[in-house]
Amino acid sequence: MNRNLFLKEFEKNSLSLIIWTVVITIFISVTMAVYPVFLKNQSKIIGIMNIVPSELLQFKGISNTKDFLSVLGFYAVNNIIYMMVLGSIYAIVLSSGILLKEEYNKTAEYLLTRPLTRGEIFISKLTVIGLNIFLLNLVTSVAGLICLELVKNEPFSIRAFLILSLYSLLLNILFGTIGLFLSVLVKRPKPITAFSIGLVLIFYFIFTLSKITEGIAKIGYLSPFRYVNTDAINPAYGIDFWHLAYFIGLSVLLTGLSYRIYKRKDIYI
Amino acid sequence: MYFNKGYLLELWNVRATFNEIIANRTSCQYKTKDNKARIMNNAIIDIKDLTKLYGKARGIDNINLEIGEGEIFGFIGPNGAGKSTTIRILMNMIFPTGGTAKIMGMDVVRETKKIKRQVGYIPSDANAYSSMDVHEFLSYCIRFYRVHNGDQWIHELAGLFELDLKRKISDLSMGNRKKVSIVQSMLHHPKLLILDEPTTGLDPLMQSIFFDLLRTENRKGMTIFFSSHILGEVQMLCKRVAIIKEGKIIKVENIETLRKKQLKKVNIEFAEERKMESFSIPGIDGLTSGPDNIITFMYSGDINELIGILSGNKINNLMIEEPSLEEIFMHYYKL
Repeated sequence: MNRNLFLKEFEKNSLSLIIWTVVITIFISVTMAVYPVFLKNQSKIIGIMNIVPSELLQFKGISNTKDFLSVLGFYAVNNIIYMMVLGSIYAIVLSSGILLKEEYNKTAEYLLTRPLTRGEIFISKLTVIGLNIFLLNLVTSVAGLICLELVKNEPFSIRAFLILSLYSLLLNILFGTIGLFLSVLVKRPKPITAFSIGLVLIFYFIFTLSKITEGIAKIGYLSPFRYVNTDAINPAYGIDFWHLAYFIGLSVLLTGLSYRIYKRKDIYI
Repeated sequence: MYFNKGYLLELWNVRATFNEIIANRTSCQYKTKDNKARIMNNAIIDIKDLTKLYGKARGIDNINLEIGEGEIFGFIGPNGAGKSTTIRILMNMIFPTGGTAKIMGMDVVRETKKIKRQVGYIPSDANAYSSMDVHEFLSYCIRFYRVHNGDQWIHELAGLFELDLKRKISDLSMGNRKKVSIVQSMLHHPKLLILDEPTTGLDPLMQSIFFDLLRTENRKGMTIFFSSHILGEVQMLCKRVAIIKEGKIIKVENIETLRKKQLKKVNIEFAEERKMESFSIPGIDGLTSGPDNIITFMYSGDINELIGILSGNKINNLMIEEPSLEEIFMHYYKL
């Protein structure tokens, strides 16, 4: 890794990290601020939920009304879209552009002519991706924890909260490596930001659709969201070994492939 | 263009200061005659059977080129001939399909990091990081090398090229971006400078200062690989030149030899009408006829043979002259 490149890259991406972190934190805080109102109107909420089709509740990630009204269940159901979908969009936008931007902005002619190997460039940029995703997850998780502590009406499992946060981090990292992989496959330099965002949304859509439509349930396995367990209030909640292996294995595989491709990639300006 | 006396005097002073600074900065390099002689004997760029294909399309085809250390070498050809492809392989931005290229005896693919410590590069497009200001960009560049008093050197070079270090790169004109590009290539006192169309956007005064800088650095031992499609600037600066056409090197020659070589421009005014078809002499190229029985052509054969053939004709006027470099270039391009 090259320290100079790493620091400059981190500095260049710091503003977008701050903006995304603040936005997600605001979403989490606002959502959790609504929780006490839900508690006050428990009976009305349960009444509404009873008339809502179960498929629609499942679409939202709610398995039963009781779960939904516990503070951690409420957090898991409502914040998945912020921490997991928005976090994944941030990760894929960052990673799909970090190498490719140098090509379509034609700055690669300056970067690639410095005394650096392709490996050093890749590792430096990969470290920035990893660190930024980690910081985003760390800050938003701490914000989530503070919100939980502020609005809770009963104790909740910190262990379950940490596992939920770990799933979010793993999912974001996986989308980060997907973005990186896509960017090294692009031969003629052009931005792939819109495509990358679309990909996250398509995966999320496939996942939610597969939950409510039995016929296409198996298609859900194509989506990384399928391997995130958000059933945080289940007493048996824990990290599934195969899910963990899926996230780590796929992330390592995509990173390794990206590294190999980038090391031999022709950079056209 | 109008310049007043004060301005020219100022320019003269700037150039004098500039040469002095460059001399001081690099006085440690190539101090002895022996050292310089040793350097001149080594090939700093050694390209063997270098080929690059873009799918089925041709990039460059079996290029062979050897450039000695201390040379100012011109690389000339029109757009799409393969100049940038060759340079991008040398800078390890793209990978060769076949053949090898070495810089200072090191392979451009395997030992690119070591090579780039000693190579400066000016790209044809001067697109630096637009969000940075000039000083930030140059400081970022210099930190990749170990340069003594780097910040002072940045200020000196920027001063000579009249660059405002506080300005954002996105606000700079094309010419000023080019100056930034020139400065960044010189920051680490490279032994080899590779230039890809370096004068685009520079005004004539800055071009002149830039060429002075190149000559000064070359006198101290820097090798310069100068790629351009403008013959005039290659002629002004380079000692030797390679002409590239459709991915192949068609000629490598000293500029002077190229001029003095057998190629002559012949202009004949016949006393009576002559048919062009009757002029089938080997070595003739670009035969054109004008009014008053005048014919013009480029001739690369034995001049005595030509005169022998012409002796049976009644001639009013015969002119044999040195062709311009432009005409020589076009001659090789038509072959």
